Amino acid sequence: MNNNKSNTLRGLLFGAGFIAVAAFIFTGCPSQQSMLDSRDAAEKVYVAPGEHDEYYGFFSGGYSGQLSVWGLPSARFLKVIPVFSQDPETGYGYSEETKPLLMTSYGFIPWDDSHHPHISQTDGDADGRWIYINANNTPRIARIDLQTFETKEILELPNTGGNHASSFVTSNSEYVIGATRFSIPYEMDLDVPIDSYSEEFRGALSFIALDPETGMMEMDFQILVPPYNYDLGRAGKGPSSDWVFFTTYNTEEAHTLLEVNASRNDKDYVAAINWKRAAELVRNGAGETMSAEYYHNYYEGNQGIAINVVKDQVTVLTPEDGQNFIYFMPTPKSPHGVDIDPSGEYIVAGGKLATVIPVHSFSRMLDAIENERFEGHVEGIPILDYDATIIGEVENPGLGPLHTEFDGRGYAYTSVYISSEIVKWSLETFEVVDRIDAYYSIGHLMITGGDTRNPDARYLVGLTKTAKDRYLPTGPKQNHPAQLYDISGDRMQLLLDFPTIGEPHYAQAIRADIVTPNVKQIYEMEENDHPHALLRVADNRIERDGDTVRVYMSSTRSHFRPDNIEGVRVGDTVYIHLTNLEQEWDVVHGIAIKGANNSEILVAPGQTKTMKWEPTRTGIFPFYCTAFCSALHQEMQGYIRVSAADSDVALTWSTGGN
Amino acid sequence: MISQKPLLTLLTIILFIPAFHACGGEETSDRQQSQPQTEEATLTEFELEHGIGPVTERIEIGDIDLDKVAEGRNIYEMKCEMCHNYQGRMVGPELGNVMERRSPEFVMNFILNPSGMVREHPVGQELLREYMTAMPFQNVQKDEARAIAEYLWYYHKENN
Amino acid sequence: MALAALMLIGLYYQPFWTISMSAPQYPEGIGMHIHIDNVTGHNRHDLQSINTLNHYIGMAEIHKEDFWEFDVMPWVFGFLIAFGLLAAVLGSTKMVITWLALMVILGVAGFIDFYMWGYEYGHNLSPDAPIKVPGMSYQPPLLGCKQLLNINACSWPYIGSIFIGLSVMLAGGVIWLEKFKSNRPN
Repeated sequence: MNNNKSNTLRGLLFGAGFIAVAAFIFTGCPSQQSMLDSRDAAEKVYVAPGEHDEYYGFFSGGYSGQLSVWGLPSARFLKVIPVFSQDPETGYGYSEETKPLLMTSYGFIPWDDSHHPHISQTDGDADGRWIYINANNTPRIARIDLQTFETKEILELPNTGGNHASSFVTSNSEYVIGATRFSIPYEMDLDVPIDSYSEEFRGALSFIALDPETGMMEMDFQILVPPYNYDLGRAGKGPSSDWVFFTTYNTEEAHTLLEVNASRNDKDYVAAINWKRAAELVRNGAGETMSAEYYHNYYEGNQGIAINVVKDQVTVLTPEDGQNFIYFMPTPKSPHGVDIDPSGEYIVAGGKLATVIPVHSFSRMLDAIENERFEGHVEGIPILDYDATIIGEVENPGLGPLHTEFDGRGYAYTSVYISSEIVKWSLETFEVVDRIDAYYSIGHLMITGGDTRNPDARYLVGLTKTAKDRYLPTGPKQNHPAQLYDISGDRMQLLLDFPTIGEPHYAQAIRADIVTPNVKQIYEMEENDHPHALLRVADNRIERDGDTVRVYMSSTRSHFRPDNIEGVRVGDTVYIHLTNLEQEWDVVHGIAIKGANNSEILVAPGQTKTMKWEPTRTGIFPFYCTAFCSALHQEMQGYIRVSAADSDVALTWSTGGN
Repeated sequence: MISQKPLLTLLTIILFIPAFHACGGEETSDRQQSQPQTEEATLTEFELEHGIGPVTERIEIGDIDLDKVAEGRNIYEMKCEMCHNYQGRMVGPELGNVMERRSPEFVMNFILNPSGMVREHPVGQELLREYMTAMPFQNVQKDEARAIAEYLWYYHKENN
Repeated sequence: MALAALMLIGLYYQPFWTISMSAPQYPEGIGMHIHIDNVTGHNRHDLQSINTLNHYIGMAEIHKEDFWEFDVMPWVFGFLIAFGLLAAVLGSTKMVITWLALMVILGVAGFIDFYMWGYEYGHNLSPDAPIKVPGMSYQPPLLGCKQLLNINACSWPYIGSIFIGLSVMLAGGVIWLEKFKSNRPN
């Protein structure tokens, strides 16, 4: 018996050793098949030098607050568009023209957390005119113009805590939506105890109207809803295009240790809102005007200077019985994403703590509303019967399903966080047909041309949260990865795995040929209406008004005009208005001054940008062009003489003896 | 000095022959373009005299059109003056008397096709050697270039 | 026999059991070693990672303090070593047999104890767990590998067990030799 036991042990040890050796043999060298696969994958993502990618990918920056632009399928990094965070690389948020964009009712905020870019739509398809993106922390939405790839407008959302379920547009860009993730007292500055949560706190769903010509945002109305966490949203498509949907969690109304306390209920809700009816009710006076301070920042005309318009009121609609514009659909469990298939019929919720993926039917939802199949009401909002709206539950989806996108060929793809995989399932049978690993812990996924009526489903990008061993190690904190999969066949195929910038949450990709014809190469000098632009030599000047000195400066290859300045004093506030007189694509000049407590300011061809500088000591201060602009770039420099505060050195300027 | 130049050209040609040869076909077109062409023979007589660019026919500057002069002056001040003086060189050559030295067509072609001129035209190449800075294209349209020529013509008449 | 007893000293230095887990999001692997007086992660913070991972499904956290076994086992093995040495000094075959019997009883008891802990650990889930999979329990395997959701958990003897094995074999050898000797007609 004793020997038996040791034999068992020996056997086990031997067995384990055998397994280890076998594993080594099988994984030690790649099989011929996998070599073929990687060659195949390499060919699929290869874009020859000088050739262009087929898609633009717009990846949110997450905690960088920005938006990065990529070429797909090659995963060429194209640029970072600064949005909610200062960007010393370009001077965004440092130049006088762009600082107002980052103003809020809380003052100037240099950072935010950007999550969900969404491209403007026409007839349910991405039209490539603008891209909207949300700021999660201090709730805002920004509009980026895809002619110049620059942030042109930022709107603050009042009465909102954490604008996460944003910034999704409706199918004709009528509205862009926002919502409160952290319910707060609706009257924003209310000083109440936190445990008065259920009584005092409320959620606000924001409907921001978009101008069809300019894409400009205007806060149209907010809907006041129970104090849950409104997590993600999507607009309907086709038959459901008058509706938007939000997921909720924390229907428990917890305000502490949510990971436990907000995970108790077996079902939370998907809120379905008929925005057209809500807007109609508001037009007919059903809303209430409440005071609220929020900023609207944008460029007016061609001045190139962002302005702040401070708003002081907002229209609020509180649901009442019989208004028939908002319903709750019970949905398991703490659902995260809510995604609408291209036909507009299926409403897929990512029940992040659920063990199935619940699929609601839009037409069954309408029937349930028609036949009043209600489970109950909460604060004037009917709760629909779960069985009346649900059409399928996808079994065995993995652990922690989050987000779903569609290929328009009858399949859905859901990202699954905890088990770190993507599952492909059929919209007909609601059965999983394929699954593939994600590296590692996938959040959102996105399909090229996705979230539209006609997804152009060649590729899928998985946006994952940890890189671990995927690339050369770069210390304890590494950049977030993304993986590109080919989804044109029956099985998903991993093509590429690349590190990204910031912390991409959602991303969108659009066919490049929709965007490129509109992309500008220069700012036309004739259209530069900047009040401090210097467009001709004769206007060259420096003006002093008390302690304020304005330098009207121009740059052209390869000199500044003026480049010798005297008469600036300690204590002055100097504004250097630099106009780039180039009219050639991609010829950029920049300026930096020694000791200036500011970033460089980069100026695109035909643009005027302003650097604010407050010299604190006397001396000669060199300045130079920061952008390598020409063969004589190193010669592109100048001097500013700073004299004592009480000096009487005259204000003079010159260039080359003129 | 002088004797070195043909040697250099020869060397360049010898070096590039295998390059063209090896790649074959359409591949090489980019390189050929970026390489200064020293063979003036490929230029037409008109091009040699009036420059290479969109202006391919003679232009009559007859009676001064003052509206056109005003338009030309406006554009000149915005897009030319930061680098050119009327008298004396600056970043580029003086332009007060340019109509004495060059034809209006030449001036217009230089404005409209500056990179082509410094690359392919012997005068353009010479100017680049002298001034070291290639004149940029300033997004000037053909009729605007015509107006600038009118203004420079007028300026020359008025100041001489 | 002295050698058999001294073999067990190795247990104070090496874990005798290992549980390792592999999951897609843990490419480097994650797991824990069980020593006679402690439980540790394969890597320094694995235990913490395991506890974090398990809290989603409501499993209790693993802390060394919660196991009375770790207080008792060093003494038990100390006693066994002393007893074994004594048997060697006295040259008593009976004592060696007793020693071996004790080892076997201890081994069986250990397995039972391990199973009971595993059952408790895998079934006693917090009612507050964020994720509840109906009908799912997470009892780790006693011996071998088992798929628990997306995690493949394996439970195997480790270096320390080699000492136990060798020790038991040596003791068995001593008995066999003694028997062989005594059975031989002199």
